[in-house]
Amino acid sequence: MLLFCLSVEMGSTNSTLSKIPNVEELMQETGFTPAHIVRLYDRFEALDKEKTGHLRPQDFGAINRLAMNPIGDRIIGAFFSPGQETVDFHSFVRILAHFRPADKNRPKDPSMPEPVNNRTSKLKFAFQLYDQDKDGKISRAELLQVLRSMLEMQVTEEQLESIADRTIQEADLDKDDAISFEEFRKSLEKVNIDHKMSIRFLR
Amino acid sequence: MPSQKKNDIAIKMEDDEARRRDRNRKARASPRAGRRKGKQATSEDEDEEEDQDKARRKRARKKKARAQDSEEEEEEDDRSVKRKGTKAPGRKKKAVKEESKEESEEEQGKKKKGGKVTSKKGKDEQNKEKKGDAKGKGGKDKKKKNGKDSSSSSSGESGDENSLSEGEMASLKEEVDEKKKLIATLRNKPWRMKRRLKLLKECQAFVERFEGALGKGKGRKLYAYKVMMAKKMIKFNRDFDNFKTACIPWERKIKEVESHFGSSVASYFIFLRWMYGLNLVLFAFMFGLVVLPEGYCKYSILFYGFYNDERTIGVLQFRLPLSYLLVGVGIFGYSLMVVIRTMARNSDEGGDGGDDGQFTFAFKMFTSWDYLIGNPETADNKYASITTSFKESIVDEQENQKDENIHLRRFLRVLANLFIICSLGGSGFLIYFVVKRSQEFANLDQDELSWFEKNEAGSIVLIRYSALQKYKVEFVMSLLGLVCPPLFETIAELEEYHPRIALKWQLGRIFALFLGNLYTFLFALFDEVNTKLENEKSIRNATIWGLNEYYANYSSYHNTTDIPPPDIHPADVIRGPCWETAVGIEFVKLTVSDIQVTYMTILIGDFLRAMIVRFLNYCWCWDLEAGFPSYGEFDISGNVLGLIFNQGMIWMGAFYAPGLVGLNVLRLLTSMYYQCWAVMSCNVPHERVFKASKSNNFYMGLLLLVLFLSLLPVVYTIMTLPPSFDCGPFRLAIYYLNATSKNYQNANLELKKKMQMARDEEKNRRNNKESTNQVMQDLEDLLPNRSLITPAAAEKPPPDNVREKGSKSPKVAKRPGAAANGKGVNLQKDVSLAAPNPKAAVTHPPGPRGPPGNARGPPPGLARGRGRGAPPPRC
Repeated sequence: MLLFCLSVEMGSTNSTLSKIPNVEELMQETGFTPAHIVRLYDRFEALDKEKTGHLRPQDFGAINRLAMNPIGDRIIGAFFSPGQETVDFHSFVRILAHFRPADKNRPKDPSMPEPVNNRTSKLKFAFQLYDQDKDGKISRAELLQVLRSMLEMQVTEEQLESIADRTIQEADLDKDDAISFEEFRKSLEKVNIDHKMSIRFLR
Repeated sequence: MPSQKKNDIAIKMEDDEARRRDRNRKARASPRAGRRKGKQATSEDEDEEEDQDKARRKRARKKKARAQDSEEEEEEDDRSVKRKGTKAPGRKKKAVKEESKEESEEEQGKKKKGGKVTSKKGKDEQNKEKKGDAKGKGGKDKKKKNGKDSSSSSSGESGDENSLSEGEMASLKEEVDEKKKLIATLRNKPWRMKRRLKLLKECQAFVERFEGALGKGKGRKLYAYKVMMAKKMIKFNRDFDNFKTACIPWERKIKEVESHFGSSVASYFIFLRWMYGLNLVLFAFMFGLVVLPEGYCKYSILFYGFYNDERTIGVLQFRLPLSYLLVGVGIFGYSLMVVIRTMARNSDEGGDGGDDGQFTFAFKMFTSWDYLIGNPETADNKYASITTSFKESIVDEQENQKDENIHLRRFLRVLANLFIICSLGGSGFLIYFVVKRSQEFANLDQDELSWFEKNEAGSIVLIRYSALQKYKVEFVMSLLGLVCPPLFETIAELEEYHPRIALKWQLGRIFALFLGNLYTFLFALFDEVNTKLENEKSIRNATIWGLNEYYANYSSYHNTTDIPPPDIHPADVIRGPCWETAVGIEFVKLTVSDIQVTYMTILIGDFLRAMIVRFLNYCWCWDLEAGFPSYGEFDISGNVLGLIFNQGMIWMGAFYAPGLVGLNVLRLLTSMYYQCWAVMSCNVPHERVFKASKSNNFYMGLLLLVLFLSLLPVVYTIMTLPPSFDCGPFRLAIYYLNATSKNYQNANLELKKKMQMARDEEKNRRNNKESTNQVMQDLEDLLPNRSLITPAAAEKPPPDNVREKGSKSPKVAKRPGAAANGKGVNLQKDVSLAAPNPKAAVTHPPGPRGPPGNARGPPPGLARGRGRGAPPPRC
């Protein structure tokens, strides 16, 4: 879903890894390999121009693919837990773990905790991008907001509203004029979310 | 990814093998099953041990396989192999943990298995079925097959080591060692030979494969190399795919147009691109097989008449006339094939590619952005395309939701069709009327010419008037083409179809209108061809006559039968009108004028209009952009039909003007750029942007129809009209005349001999009339004309006659019948045998013919001159 340009030249793996505290736990938690962690760390450092060990929202502005994105702000916002101004490397990696491709032949295992990169959590992440007020529902106003940022100015307000109405009408199963997560998941059932919300470089 | 796939395949194969073995074993076990269950259990246990072992091996291998993919750089891979040897102990711990987990699960599985023994077989079957679609899930299936509950097994993999961790390396090493040990001790195992062999093979393959990975043994370098190559291959494939996409011509341009104007406008450009490809192939045919072999330039390679009729060309004995004909046929054949194949493919795609209309808006809403876009321009296009696609969906949606009065709608549709049929009929009648008038006038023209010749002023008026008449047809045509489409569109608004369906109706209706256009053009052409043919007939006769005269005179002067061909400069030869070239010229004229009109229309109708609207808007009373003229919309139906009919012209004209295809290729090429530019800079999207139908089979269908329609006249002309005698690859003139003169020479020689014989016989008979035998006498009595032959005629010595005239012309051949008595009958017969060809009919020069105005005809002096002594003026 979002892609960071990860073509940073690799540093020496061992030395980089040793710089990161608790790297083992991080890897276990997110499922990233050492190689990935090293890459992400390099990327993190490249974004962190002031070398504070934390990223601020404006640091993400350097990624022009996000700047182009109509909901780029929201994606950046998703990196910051409420009330916090900065994000450290560990949270950074945890957020990005959502975008790790699902493992092809991972069998269903109820006893194991769901890894963070499964379909549901990916969808949840996407859902939160739309659900700005965090009430668990995407309301009509929220949809309109997204639409306005996504469409050009050529579309009349009327058309925008009809699109929003239509979207809700399609997805809304319980007729409460808002899209809950369940409904969101249902409407995107056919979408190959793993394809859409994966970073190939993190394979 | 190839390497992954390779591994999968390898695993799968092994799997298959294993299963087969398993099945065999089971087959063996089954008869015993009823008798001693307990024993079976133990044997199963034994199997199980082995299976466990196998499963573990497989798992490790799979991990390895994944590890291979996960790394992007090949150097890194190398490093990781090295690195793994000296890894922090923490990961080892994890790996060991996993191992133990696996182990415990297998234990669990074993426990469960007790209860599952009976159902195992069924499960086996089930798994086999699954196997088909479970590519890449070899390991999982394998485990299932082993009778373990799939859900409980192999969670060790869920942690997913994307690269080889320390623990894995260790376990892999362990396994390799194990295998080696197994290989060493296999001989002592109390197994069947077959099984031992199989196992041995497996083990060896395994050891060979993974020893290299472990960094020891001879395979190490080879392994590193293999991995590197596999990666390079992957990268190459990816690049190649990108390259392939980049190679599709104008893909970007079309996508850009699509993002701003919707898929319906883009469908036109896709159609244009397709047409370009088709024409390119046709051009290659034409150029490679006809134009190129011909080689040099005589008049113009553009037309039929240029191509000569030499039977073969060059060392390869290239048969040009044959190739010309075959290319003509081949162009139609190929086009037909391509059109039909494309239609079939389109309909296939249209069939299964259809997604249901569920959640279209939600889908677009949440997933349409392409998150790889990092370029502002691309982002703009993407915004536009999302907007456009939403608009398209809105239109579709509105159509679906429209609550309608079905009766009123039906009534309106019938009414609209009635109107349109009326206007179509009206325009058809108008065309007919105008054509008829102009034909009548043409006849009048010829009859009355003498009268008009009397006063020049009148004749000038007449000429002007006739020109007017000629252009009147074209004028009416273009007027209809201008007026009718908007009229149809207006009427179509009554019908309130979805714009996509409305487009199809519009296309069909204008198609019908244009058909009239096409066929009037064709009829006019046939008229012209017929006059040309008559004209040509007279010229041919004159030519043949002239040639005969030439031969006659030549031989009489030089008293020889060895006559060189007439020494006339080719430019002085009277040529027939060569109707094929004339037809070709018509088609080229039409195509060129069509190009001009199309381009001018775009320039004036779109560009100028856009300029005026844009810049005059600053100083105008009303808002030009929103108000009356506004910007133009892209006329899909007109453009598509223009393209289709243009192609029809090319198909029809290609036989008579091989260069036309090349011209068309150029036209399409420029059209692509020009129209793309025009549409992006001077048009606005349709008010109701609508989604094009998935396959543009409707366009293809129309094209197919035009193909047949254009095939008809070409086939008709080839079948019925004689080819021009003195031009083109199928010319007859030289061949024909040569043959004629040769025949005449032969005939004359024969004649001489016969005459001689006849004279001798005559003499004999006179000398000894008594000695003639009775039979001969009787025969002569039987001849009916004997009594009719006057002595004078009988006495006239035919050879003298021949010699006197010194003529070997066929006129002589007719006469000897009268000259020869008795044997004369035979003689005549012989002569007619000697000169059997129809050229004999040409015994007198053609009379005056054609309209006096015909400048290309032979001058009257020649035509009227019956003097046989006159030297052949031409040829």
